[in-house]
Amino acid sequence: MGGMVACPKAVNAVRLAIPHTMDISEVIKSIENTDIASSIRNSLFLFPMLESIHVIGLALVFGTIAIVDLRLLGLASTHRPFRTMATDILKWTWIAFAITFVTGGLMFTTNATVYIHNPVFQAKMALLLLAGVNMGIFELTTGRSSRQWDTSSSPPAAAKTAAIISLTLWIGVIFLGRWIGFTTTRTATKDEAPPQINFEELFPGATEDSTTPAPPPTPNKK
Amino acid sequence: MNDFALWLSQTYPSVLIQTNNAWAIPTIQSIHIAGIGIVLASVFMMDLRILGLAGRDQTLRQTTNRFGPWLMWSLVALLVTGVLMVIGEPVRELVTISFWLKMFLIAVGTLVAAIFLRTLQKHDQRWEDAMTKRLSIKLMAIFTFLVWLAVIVLGRLIAYDHIWGAWSPARRL
Repeated sequence: MGGMVACPKAVNAVRLAIPHTMDISEVIKSIENTDIASSIRNSLFLFPMLESIHVIGLALVFGTIAIVDLRLLGLASTHRPFRTMATDILKWTWIAFAITFVTGGLMFTTNATVYIHNPVFQAKMALLLLAGVNMGIFELTTGRSSRQWDTSSSPPAAAKTAAIISLTLWIGVIFLGRWIGFTTTRTATKDEAPPQINFEELFPGATEDSTTPAPPPTPNKK
Repeated sequence: MNDFALWLSQTYPSVLIQTNNAWAIPTIQSIHIAGIGIVLASVFMMDLRILGLAGRDQTLRQTTNRFGPWLMWSLVALLVTGVLMVIGEPVRELVTISFWLKMFLIAVGTLVAAIFLRTLQKHDQRWEDAMTKRLSIKLMAIFTFLVWLAVIVLGRLIAYDHIWGAWSPARRL
């Protein structure tokens, strides 16, 4: 497969980093074929546990970012100096983000090809990137002058704008993240049949991926 | 409970959510998750303050005044979106052990938080300073945080209740 010549420089850069004969899609495939990916796929517990820890991490990421953003908007914690609370809180945000990154990465490996072609997944990654860009711009511009408005209960308009963009993007990330679960049928690439999950068949439409058409009822294996 | 879930699934509000489930369910769930973010971060900040790991420029009272109301109002928002999810998918929610364990732990977490916030309001600064030094209070902070983490895990496990094996009522349907 050699269909990715639109950006030769990028392709060359990737080719330098990985064995010569490999294409991007082959790299994705090999991620899927790793032992860790297949052990998550074959385990009844691992994927739900990864999802749960992912939710814990993202709850802390969103919640702590919201605390800082609401301070920037002058809506909460207004008596507290911005710089003090930002350094106090954001280190926990980064720890939580690392947790979501690791658990999200592990979930990605289980079905990498499907995820990478899923427009909802792509959109979520784009919003994450934009959230990073928004943070970077804030740090390099308004954040630089934060000493001047540190104790002000109403930070400059640019800071408020960054806060609104940040909150909007993170809510979008949550929404798209939840949506991925409704667009990807994980069982499609399971290495083997899951052990007797009968109630999905008994109640089509009442389980996790309820928006995807329920499979035709099959006789229960007893 | 099975009969109730089946009856609920045939009521008008349930059918309304079911017929719009392509967007209604993910939307309600996303709002629910955003609310979980506010709840968990609020508990986290108050617990870290008790443990002396964050917010030390603030008194405990200032910290609870900031996050206590957000915790309680987010719990209300979670109750509303949670009820909507139960109405929309009664069997998926009610006929699981994960859901009922989750409800029990929410009751524990909410009760501990309410008693703690109320007690704190009744006493003065000196009492507060003495109390935050006590090991039992620090252990309570860690315990409540773990309770809320378990609530989140159980919430996710509603979709995977089969992992409880024979304990899952979904099995016996």
